[in-house]
Amino acid sequence: MKQEKVIQLQNISKSFDGEKILNNINLYIRDKEFITLLGPSGCGKTTMLRLIAGFETPDEGTILFEGKPINDVPPYQRSVNTVFQKYALFPHLNVFENIAFGLRLKKLPEEQIRKQVKDMLALVNLKGFERRNVERLSGGQQQRVAIARALINHPKVLLLDEPLAALDLKLRKDMQVELKNMQKRTGITFIYVTHDQEEALSMSDTVMVIAEGEIQQIGTPTDIYNEPVNAFVADFIGESNILDGVMTADYKATFSGHTFDCVDSGFEKNEKVDIVVRPEDVDVVPCERGMLVGDVTGVTFKGVHYEIIVDIRGFKWMIQSTDYVAPGDHIGLSIDPDAIHVMKKSRFSNMFGDYSSFSDELEKLSDLSEEENE
Amino acid sequence: MKKRTLLERMASAPHLVWMVLFIVAPLLFVAYYAFTTPDGSFTFENIAALSNHAETFLFSVCMALISTVICLLIGYPLAYCISRASARAQKILIMLIMLPMWMNLLIRTYSMMAILDDGGFLNNLLMRLGFAPVHIVGTAGAVIFGMVYNFLPYMVLPIHSVISKLDWRLIEAANDLGCNNFRVLTRVILPLSVPGIISGLTMVFVPSISTFYISQKLGGGTFELIGDTIERQFQNPVTYHVGASISLVMMILILISLAIMNRFSDSETGGMIA
Repeated sequence: MKQEKVIQLQNISKSFDGEKILNNINLYIRDKEFITLLGPSGCGKTTMLRLIAGFETPDEGTILFEGKPINDVPPYQRSVNTVFQKYALFPHLNVFENIAFGLRLKKLPEEQIRKQVKDMLALVNLKGFERRNVERLSGGQQQRVAIARALINHPKVLLLDEPLAALDLKLRKDMQVELKNMQKRTGITFIYVTHDQEEALSMSDTVMVIAEGEIQQIGTPTDIYNEPVNAFVADFIGESNILDGVMTADYKATFSGHTFDCVDSGFEKNEKVDIVVRPEDVDVVPCERGMLVGDVTGVTFKGVHYEIIVDIRGFKWMIQSTDYVAPGDHIGLSIDPDAIHVMKKSRFSNMFGDYSSFSDELEKLSDLSEEENE
Repeated sequence: MKKRTLLERMASAPHLVWMVLFIVAPLLFVAYYAFTTPDGSFTFENIAALSNHAETFLFSVCMALISTVICLLIGYPLAYCISRASARAQKILIMLIMLPMWMNLLIRTYSMMAILDDGGFLNNLLMRLGFAPVHIVGTAGAVIFGMVYNFLPYMVLPIHSVISKLDWRLIEAANDLGCNNFRVLTRVILPLSVPGIISGLTMVFVPSISTFYISQKLGGGTFELIGDTIERQFQNPVTYHVGASISLVMMILILISLAIMNRFSDSETGGMIA
């Protein structure tokens, strides 16, 4: 299926106050795709969105829209609409007028405006909300108004800046499905910014992982999850055990004092590499059958599975298993060749430790500080 | 409502005493004088005497309206420009706007006279440059100029405070939905600054309609505003009571117009100002 490139960024760089936010970004976005820009806060993903919307101009490089440069085109002349993070609904207008805002500017006849707003309200499940004051709506309802207000203009591209960040978990899950459906139904290209990797994996056609102003990896959600290119991507997407290893030969990786069969080749002999093993890909076996042997230091019940922390030669592994083991148990681990993912060393190597300091509480705390930074 | 503790009531007592002593009591005095004769008997004569001043009253309203509108026309763009400036520049500009307010109104008006008078600074300058002198003091224009000059800050400050607190994302959203900069102004910024405009209008209109000093000095005695009339009545113990009745009626009229304006602003902004 050949798809048209609707937006291209060529050699884009952008600095704020002397700090480089985006560094030589090159990418293209295909028509009608759902692409997610994923990265930790401060990685430059929102800046990228604002460049496409026209609220910022790049220091260097060109932004192309359907092949034409749009660096100097003001936001109001771009066929791009934005759903803002905190919705930015107009407080002096009711729901109807907020949604009709773009159409009124186009001076459409009243009849048509009425009909289109009505259709749009039906699309976002807000029938009968026309006369409501936007400030008295719940977060989820405001969100829908914001989406309707953008979609009614039939943009070629819809930009969404962490639109679900302010919603609670349940509502967020529902909205993820709804957004995906809306995107399919309308055939509009969605460019979606988030720092929530789960959201990115479940909604997108394409995920782009960004860190420190540079694109780390572009691919389908499965590619990104199964074949991370470096330690950063592996750590950011899902849970991973990231270890130092050596490729002793093609299809032979040595780490944690054991040489494993693997499916990767093409490395130099004895090249130092990063090894990724996902927690769900490790099997717990009796000691004598284990490729690796270690002591269980912690077990947490997670509903579907247990999360087990195992100390192997001082490195704390995380393992997910449906079988219970007790803290203090001596267990063996077995890893299939295709569960071992080998990556070249990068500047992100050794930045991510083991699971020795891991706790849910810590993770939540860091999530909170992330939200405050936004 | 929750019953207040003794401590809470004691804490609010001084304010209550203050309000009774300096706000309620004077109002009662004004009302008392308005309906009595010098010997203390009840009468409607003072109210009836108002008809003698109807023309002055209308003239004052017109003058106040004109200066209020001029203040709005100058003040809104000024406030808008200030709120677009950098935070540092905003501080300085607001300081400059407020600076004249720290000086007494009388002194400001006197210095205006010194500048605008027939033999004053401006005319001296004009003559030196070879132009004909302009007669300013004593014209209606001078009075309006004086009002605008003195009361402009009261228009700029509330409008600035509303515009500078506007959520800039709303402006981006409007831009995003197809507004050029002019339309952002008319469709978003202007409607959202209505509360500031309303308080600016009242804060300029009220002192404009009751001023007496500006008209006396810059009007050169040619004009009489209702403020002058009231002042004159109060300078003579015999006409004290007429002065009180004019004050009372004017106060009521101002209250009515304030109520109308507030109603108007409520419906415009969907209850944005409390």
